[in-house]
Amino acid sequence: MKKAGASFFVLLLFLPLLVEAAEIPVPRGYVNDYGNMISSSAEADLAAKLKSFEESDSTQLVVLTVPSLEGEPLEDYSIRVAEAWKIGQKAKDNGILFLVSREDRKMRIEVGRGLEGKLTDLTAGRIIDLVVKPKFKAEDYDGGFTAGVSALIDATRGEFAADRRAPSGGQGPYVPFVGGIPPWLAFLMLIGFFAFFGAMARSRAHHNQLSRRGLRRSGRGYPPYPGGYYGEGWSTREERDSDVDSGGGFSGGGGGFGGGGASGSW
Amino acid sequence: MEKLLRYVASGMVLLMLSGCGYNVMQQNEEAVKAAWGDVEATYQRRSDLIPNLVETVKAYAKFEKDTLTQVTEARAKVGTVQMSKDVLDDPKKFEEFQAAQNSMSSALSRLLVVVEKYPDLKANQNFMDLQHQLEGTENRINVARTRYNKTVETFNASIRTFPNNLTNKFLLHLKAKEPFKAAPGADKAPQVTF
Repeated sequence: MKKAGASFFVLLLFLPLLVEAAEIPVPRGYVNDYGNMISSSAEADLAAKLKSFEESDSTQLVVLTVPSLEGEPLEDYSIRVAEAWKIGQKAKDNGILFLVSREDRKMRIEVGRGLEGKLTDLTAGRIIDLVVKPKFKAEDYDGGFTAGVSALIDATRGEFAADRRAPSGGQGPYVPFVGGIPPWLAFLMLIGFFAFFGAMARSRAHHNQLSRRGLRRSGRGYPPYPGGYYGEGWSTREERDSDVDSGGGFSGGGGGFGGGGASGSW
Repeated sequence: MEKLLRYVASGMVLLMLSGCGYNVMQQNEEAVKAAWGDVEATYQRRSDLIPNLVETVKAYAKFEKDTLTQVTEARAKVGTVQMSKDVLDDPKKFEEFQAAQNSMSSALSRLLVVVEKYPDLKANQNFMDLQHQLEGTENRINVARTRYNKTVETFNASIRTFPNNLTNKFLLHLKAKEPFKAAPGADKAPQVTF
């Protein structure tokens, strides 16, 4: 009896997992054909095209097909995936997710905030209605994906340019600044800070010289880094580059989404 | 020496402030305000779409005057509700804002149901474009509301937990913010079918 109670309790623990709708798949690359809709040759072509598009424009366009949404609304699922995969570069927010659910016969283009100006809901809607839908209706899925991706690339080309790669020698490792300093260290620094200025006030003769030197020193100690303060979860530019070079894989840059884009069915 | 002591003391006061959640609460409140800005912007976007939509529908569905008038009225009412930051601190104003937007939502969904009777209108490219824009906007509203609620949750928790609650009580006097509540049926985007 006790055992039954315990197993019931364990079941209860897992209940939230069951309620949670369609699970977010692991990103495998630029084209994630979990729904088995794209032939392997078309998939390779698409992946190559999307990779070179990111290299030239830094815009990340990712294709995902799933077998089914398992009852979850398309829009909810697509923004969850887009946020989890962090498609697009941080601060540019230039990510696009092209999501297709096979059994629901639904698709959505989720557009990152930085691209909403060029790829408006209207443009995304027209790409779905006029470019992809007719091909999907004729069961030409390869053609639909290829044409859709080309249209999306055409619509967004030139909106962003890739950053020039940072010289690898000059930059130090990632150092978390304000957010990551433990309180005791901050306290010590504060004491040091006040002591420094106290000493400075006393010896006014050296004032200018000291502060200039102090500034320069601190400039060397904390190198500027591109990601911002909260970027610990994201891969750095260098990591991503080596990633792309090695296997053509995709890794999100931390772009943000605001729910822009369009949906359609066929 | 005395000078040094004073520096140390003022340093400690600064640290105590950051250790008791003073900064965290401020940051969380700013996050709520930022998220609220998004909510307002998305609702505004919807209001901006309405006149165009009404005109397009009017051209095809001449007999649906009532529905169209309701939409226009709802939009006018949304316009009269003061959209400002103090909506956040005033539960009553927040309620008003939400009610106005909800009636707008339901008027819109009625309009989109009515439209089903007019195949010519549904096939009109202009109308299809508007539908995409409307859908996109409704989705943005949804996203902005969810995010706003999340920031409110964080903020409200941060002003209630110890020791932040003491700091808030004696120093900041921040009030708990209102989250959006799902009104029956109003949390869904209007059903748009082809």
